Amino acid sequence: MERMTAWEIRCGITDKRFTAKEAVTSCFERIYEKDTIINGFLTLCHEEALNQAARIDEKIKRGEQVGRLGGVPIAIKDNICTDGIKTTCASRMLHDFIPPYDATVIKKLKEADAIIIGKTNMDEFAMGSSTENSAFMKTKNPWDRERVPGGSSGGSAAVVSAGMTAIALGSDTGGSVRQPAAFCGVVGLKPTYGLVSRFGLIAFGSSLDQIGPLSKNVKDSALVLEAIQGEDKLDSTSVRHPVTEDYISSMEKGVKGMKIAVPVDFFQSGLEEEISASIKESIEKFKALGAVVEDISLPITAEGLSAYYIISSAEASSNLARFDGIRYGYRRSEFSDLEQLMEKSRSEGFGEEVKRRIMLGTYALSSGYYDAYYNRAQKLRSKIREQFVKAFEGYDLILSPVSPALPFKFGEKSSDPVEMYLADIYTVNINLAGLPALSIPCGFSKDGLPTGLQLIGSHYGEEKIFRAAYALEQELKLKLQPVL
Amino acid sequence: MSYETIIGLEIHAELNTRSKIFCSCRTEFGAKPNENTCPICMGLPGTLPVLNEEAVNLAVKAGTIFNCEINRLNKMDRKNYFYPDLPKAYQTSQYDIPICRGGYVEIETEGVERRIRLNRIHMEEDAGKLIHLEDEAVSLIDYNRVGVPLIEIVTEPDMRSVEEAIAFLRALKAMLEYGGISDCRMEQGSLRCDANISLRRIGQDTLNTRVELKNLNSFKELQKALEKEEKRQRELYTFGEEDKIKQETRRWDSAKGKTIPMRSKEDAHDYRYFPEPDLAPVIIDDIRIRKVREALPEMPAEKKKRFRELYGLSEKEIDIIIGDKAFAQYYEALVACGTNPKTGANWILGNMLKLLNEKGLGTDQIPVAPDALCKLTKIIAEGTISITAGQEVFREMFDTGRSAGEIVQEKGLSQISDTSDMERIIESVLDDNPQSVSDYAAGKTQAAGFLMGQVMKGSKGKANPQVAKAILEERLKQRV
Amino acid sequence: MKISVEDVIYIAKLAKLSLDPEQAEKMVKEFEGILSHFESIDKLDLSDVKPEFYNEGMTPVLREDTACVFEDKEKLFQNVKSMRDTYIKVPKIIE
Repeated sequence: MERMTAWEIRCGITDKRFTAKEAVTSCFERIYEKDTIINGFLTLCHEEALNQAARIDEKIKRGEQVGRLGGVPIAIKDNICTDGIKTTCASRMLHDFIPPYDATVIKKLKEADAIIIGKTNMDEFAMGSSTENSAFMKTKNPWDRERVPGGSSGGSAAVVSAGMTAIALGSDTGGSVRQPAAFCGVVGLKPTYGLVSRFGLIAFGSSLDQIGPLSKNVKDSALVLEAIQGEDKLDSTSVRHPVTEDYISSMEKGVKGMKIAVPVDFFQSGLEEEISASIKESIEKFKALGAVVEDISLPITAEGLSAYYIISSAEASSNLARFDGIRYGYRRSEFSDLEQLMEKSRSEGFGEEVKRRIMLGTYALSSGYYDAYYNRAQKLRSKIREQFVKAFEGYDLILSPVSPALPFKFGEKSSDPVEMYLADIYTVNINLAGLPALSIPCGFSKDGLPTGLQLIGSHYGEEKIFRAAYALEQELKLKLQPVL
Repeated sequence: MSYETIIGLEIHAELNTRSKIFCSCRTEFGAKPNENTCPICMGLPGTLPVLNEEAVNLAVKAGTIFNCEINRLNKMDRKNYFYPDLPKAYQTSQYDIPICRGGYVEIETEGVERRIRLNRIHMEEDAGKLIHLEDEAVSLIDYNRVGVPLIEIVTEPDMRSVEEAIAFLRALKAMLEYGGISDCRMEQGSLRCDANISLRRIGQDTLNTRVELKNLNSFKELQKALEKEEKRQRELYTFGEEDKIKQETRRWDSAKGKTIPMRSKEDAHDYRYFPEPDLAPVIIDDIRIRKVREALPEMPAEKKKRFRELYGLSEKEIDIIIGDKAFAQYYEALVACGTNPKTGANWILGNMLKLLNEKGLGTDQIPVAPDALCKLTKIIAEGTISITAGQEVFREMFDTGRSAGEIVQEKGLSQISDTSDMERIIESVLDDNPQSVSDYAAGKTQAAGFLMGQVMKGSKGKANPQVAKAILEERLKQRV
Repeated sequence: MKISVEDVIYIAKLAKLSLDPEQAEKMVKEFEGILSHFESIDKLDLSDVKPEFYNEGMTPVLREDTACVFEDKEKLFQNVKSMRDTYIKVPKIIE
């Protein structure tokens, strides 16, 4: 079971080679065995999962059609609301929060007959790139347990990589699905902004957040996207036109004639040599498969990092203001008045990084600074978006690194926040522009750590991304099961 | 030294929608605390807003009736501040690009017509209600009102007297009611008003320090508060102490009858406005504007004109009837049934208002249907019952809901209009009171009054007074 | 960009966070580091750009005005720490 993909599990169940109950049971066996060393899960839903499995097995017995993800176990990042199941954002602030409703993606997963097995660890409120900012536990990278799994969807990436589940959901605001995917040797997709509903995703950067799948291979990624994408009446920012419903059928078309751009600015100083080498090998593979790969210039992206941190922090400072201990969440037990209740609850409930970003965001929006920071950042954002759109006039895809560094050791980067921020250089601009991007494993370092590359598409251009990623995946045939 | 008063008003009106501005919760007043709530208006993590179309339509309607310029591409902004009645810790409002700009309301005070200009109208959401307990260090929060759609209307500082301010608010209220935009009940909080007031020397063209007044819960309170503050400022100016007037907010305390400075909230308001990233832009096209315009009901100004032409009522009567949409509708229904316009006006402004006040009922709760009242006025006009009897019948109809015909029959109130019976009674009265007859002959006209009284007594009050009087006078003349 | 401890304390108040003097000092240093990086955007010429408030292609979204009830109120308020009847209870607010 730990090596099976979602596609294989569903086929196995519908072909009656095994039952959903057996799939779930096997899954939990692996979790109980391995999660003590990985610490990917914050909450497990064994009983609910068995109930779901029983329901699906009944459906199959009756000869009914099951959904796209029939009987497939899936792990959910703990910032996505699940009705009746604790949702904490890995924060003390929400340590006992039980949402009274399901996020739209959860509703859709249930409609597709997927089985939710648990909630995964993350950086608190999705702020971070290593999952070290979790208030509860440290998730280990299955490839080297002294190293971080990346963040903020580190828990989701680790549990997929460790074979505890075939698929997981994460969220990506500045690289939080793609970077942990690269660190853990799995496939991670950030869809086009608006393609997947944000209703029920506990907001960090409202104009940047997207929920995306983490999986062992490209096909599973496409399968999950098909299940969770689409217009949502409850989300005013979700797509309002029909989208490609079937990515899988066109996936095997290959890359012959596809034009792939490689921004030279990304391969200058700062990028780890081994990652660079890995990516360059993949570029050669693409060429051999018939794609046209060319260098381009994409200069403005260094400043994009500043624009990203200003905009995301500003939005976060506003989104997190609702946490004051009054209606839900951590409430300090002793307080002299309401003011103190709110201030102390917030100061004690939030971790360092979260407080830092809230302060930064508050500052950027404050009177006198709005024009210098927030307004300018938004203007820069327009320019960045424009640059990308122009680039896509001549190309189908843009290829880039995901992370400038290999998975680092615990504590290595946590002393200086700026150092951590700089590591987001390749991912944040994609969120600013609202584009889709997929992180796919492309090799290993000499120490056996996974390396990944990023395929960026034009708005709603996921189909081409899957095609190219699939082609590369089939060509590379990497062995992606870490030994635990 | 002559001073003039400068007043500007800021009005919040709850829009007449079925559901809230960003979620589908009910908006009706008086529900159990926290009954009209859901994850979205409670601001639970992960929830998102979706804008109510009718709120937009009503805001556009307001812009139309006030002759504003309607902004075609709208965005909403977040106004960030912490307060327990605000679940998201921000209010979604409109900051720099309101849905309507400019506009005006025409008013008339003491025969002088003036146009009071509006500065802007924007959409926003309401907050919850806080109740502070007296005997415990506890406050209670009710979130029913969170998310109810509001429009905020800001005027230019064009009003030059307290009368003008009151006239303006009355006219604005009537227009919002007639337009079906808001039910404007100040006592329920669906219409709220804050005022800004300052003074300046006549001839000065700049404005002096102004004071904001809050907690004005009715027209009467607004008037008293403005008058009090105007007086306070005038005295300071008179004694050359105008520098004591600070730009501040003062709370009207109706029990104490004065305005009291409110504790200034520290860190003055840095609301950190920024565009709401969770909402799509709202585009108002020509089609929507035309639809709204076409669906507009008759506005007070037009109604007034029509009333003047058709019904021959006095200005004052028209003002009172039209000042209340439900009243005006009732009146027109009454006249449509066949009641004489003047008679109808007398009835509703007299007996009707009296009974409504007595029973504490609103003009939309009149228990007598227009056609029922119409039947009553017809019976009286025909002479079947006297006017006095009619008032008694009306009260009975009001209390029991029964028809005029039923009550008249049961109480045997039909008056005697039949002249033969009347003649008999009159003859017998004249026979029994020879002294009064000679007094009348001698020129003492009050004797006729006495005799009429006797006739009414003799007929047990049922004689139709007009008919009886005519016959009495005729018979008196005969005997004299 | 120079930022003072007073600035940091003011912002903390705006954000309803309490910082002790040590935390405030630390925050000043961190802020300065981050803000100096932001200076990179100061140099850019953005005079010709209108700030983009909406992701491209967002169409107006309006909801029909129909009311419906979220039935399970107990579930809705299950995370509230203190209630009285159906009110949410908090320490007294001084207006």
